[in-house]
Amino acid sequence: MDSMGGNFQFKYSVMWESIPVLMTGVKLTILITFFGLIFGFLLGSAAGLGKTSRNIFINKLAGVYIESVRGTPLMVQVMFLYFGLPLALGMRVPPLTAGVTAIAVNAGAYIAEIVRGAIQSIDKGQVEAGRSIGLTHFQALIYIIWPQAFKRMIPPLGNQFIISLKDTSLLVVIGVGELTRQGQEIIAVNFRAFEVWLTVAVIYLAMTMVISRMLNTLEKKLEIAA
Amino acid sequence: MIRIEGLHKSFGPLEVLKGIDLHIRSGEVVVIIGPSGSGKSTLLRCINLLEDISSGTVIVDGLNLKDKDTDINFIRTEVGMVFQQFNLFPHMTAMENVTLGPIKVRKMPKKKAKKLGLELLRKVDLEDKAHVYPDQLSGGQKQRVAIARSLALTPKAMLFDEPTSALDPELVGEVLEVMKALVVDGMTMVVVSHEMGFAREVAQRVIFMDEGLIVEENTPENIFSNPQNERTRSFLGKVL
Repeated sequence: MDSMGGNFQFKYSVMWESIPVLMTGVKLTILITFFGLIFGFLLGSAAGLGKTSRNIFINKLAGVYIESVRGTPLMVQVMFLYFGLPLALGMRVPPLTAGVTAIAVNAGAYIAEIVRGAIQSIDKGQVEAGRSIGLTHFQALIYIIWPQAFKRMIPPLGNQFIISLKDTSLLVVIGVGELTRQGQEIIAVNFRAFEVWLTVAVIYLAMTMVISRMLNTLEKKLEIAA
Repeated sequence: MIRIEGLHKSFGPLEVLKGIDLHIRSGEVVVIIGPSGSGKSTLLRCINLLEDISSGTVIVDGLNLKDKDTDINFIRTEVGMVFQQFNLFPHMTAMENVTLGPIKVRKMPKKKAKKLGLELLRKVDLEDKAHVYPDQLSGGQKQRVAIARSLALTPKAMLFDEPTSALDPELVGEVLEVMKALVVDGMTMVVVSHEMGFAREVAQRVIFMDEGLIVEENTPENIFSNPQNERTRSFLGKVL
């Protein structure tokens, strides 16, 4: 057991030296988070609107999507998409595509509930006022409900963005070279788990803090404009 | 202008309107009074289909609301609606509230819509508040913007659903002034209101509703000084 402690010596230099390699992982992490969230937001908005729809088919379809994604672990979804689905489709899916898809599908389900909640929180009188001046249901949604609902979505969306960014670390299981994967590979060579995981953690923290700040700024901006 | 025959409306097992017949002529001003829960607001909301009709007919400007060919969005531009809670769009300035309809529904160019908006805000005496958001306006000012927003579609009739009930007493007057100006312009108006003074002054007809039916209708002088029905008498006894 003496290799586990006693003579441990913290080495700053390991942290600095690992940064260039970790940065290649950061690039991928940002890329996957960015596209995963863009598609996730579109998917989530569609499913969230679907959940408010009076069309039973659309409503149920959105419900099934949300329930099945929320009810299964992301890691299982990732492995299903990457290892399982290609067997059925008869074609390989590049790991990056599988990764972005998994993040998008997963985030979409949670975002759907955020969107639904925000839309349903807008006073019914708003739609009625919109309809009373001749707007169609769709126009009332676009010009009246959505802008107000979007403002209310920002805090929970920020939460989900941060969760999704951290969730990209699970993509190590399909070999996507994102930040966590790069950390693993450095440790496989130098065995400096303490310094490397600490560095990785600090980088994740820095990225999530940037997301928080950006959403705070957006929220303040929208606050001023009404 | 508005022709209602045998109108019934139910919410689930609860029947709110139990057979309403009502004709409103072009240019007429009708005030509907009655205890809460009597179906006044529901009746009003059936006229522009904010509530769908259970049975009976509503004909607005020659168009049957139950006809599949009738464009409901068009009807709604023909019949403006003013709500008790104003329902201004909080994320838009007064000007944007007023011009949204003309721009999106009438496809009016923005410049022309702005000119119209300014004109209407002047009409409700709020020209100086054009670029203010609703949360900076008093209740009376909000309701006046809401009236301007409805007028922006140049409706042939206006429905007012208790337009002054949510206002502080000292702000009621300014809204009633705007409404009186509309009467002078010859606007067809159906007003659900507890403002008996307003009814007395401008209504051609006052309708008393109770429990989903029109109990009595008459000129304001007659209904206020000589109500025929016991229920009308007891209601007026409480509010006058």
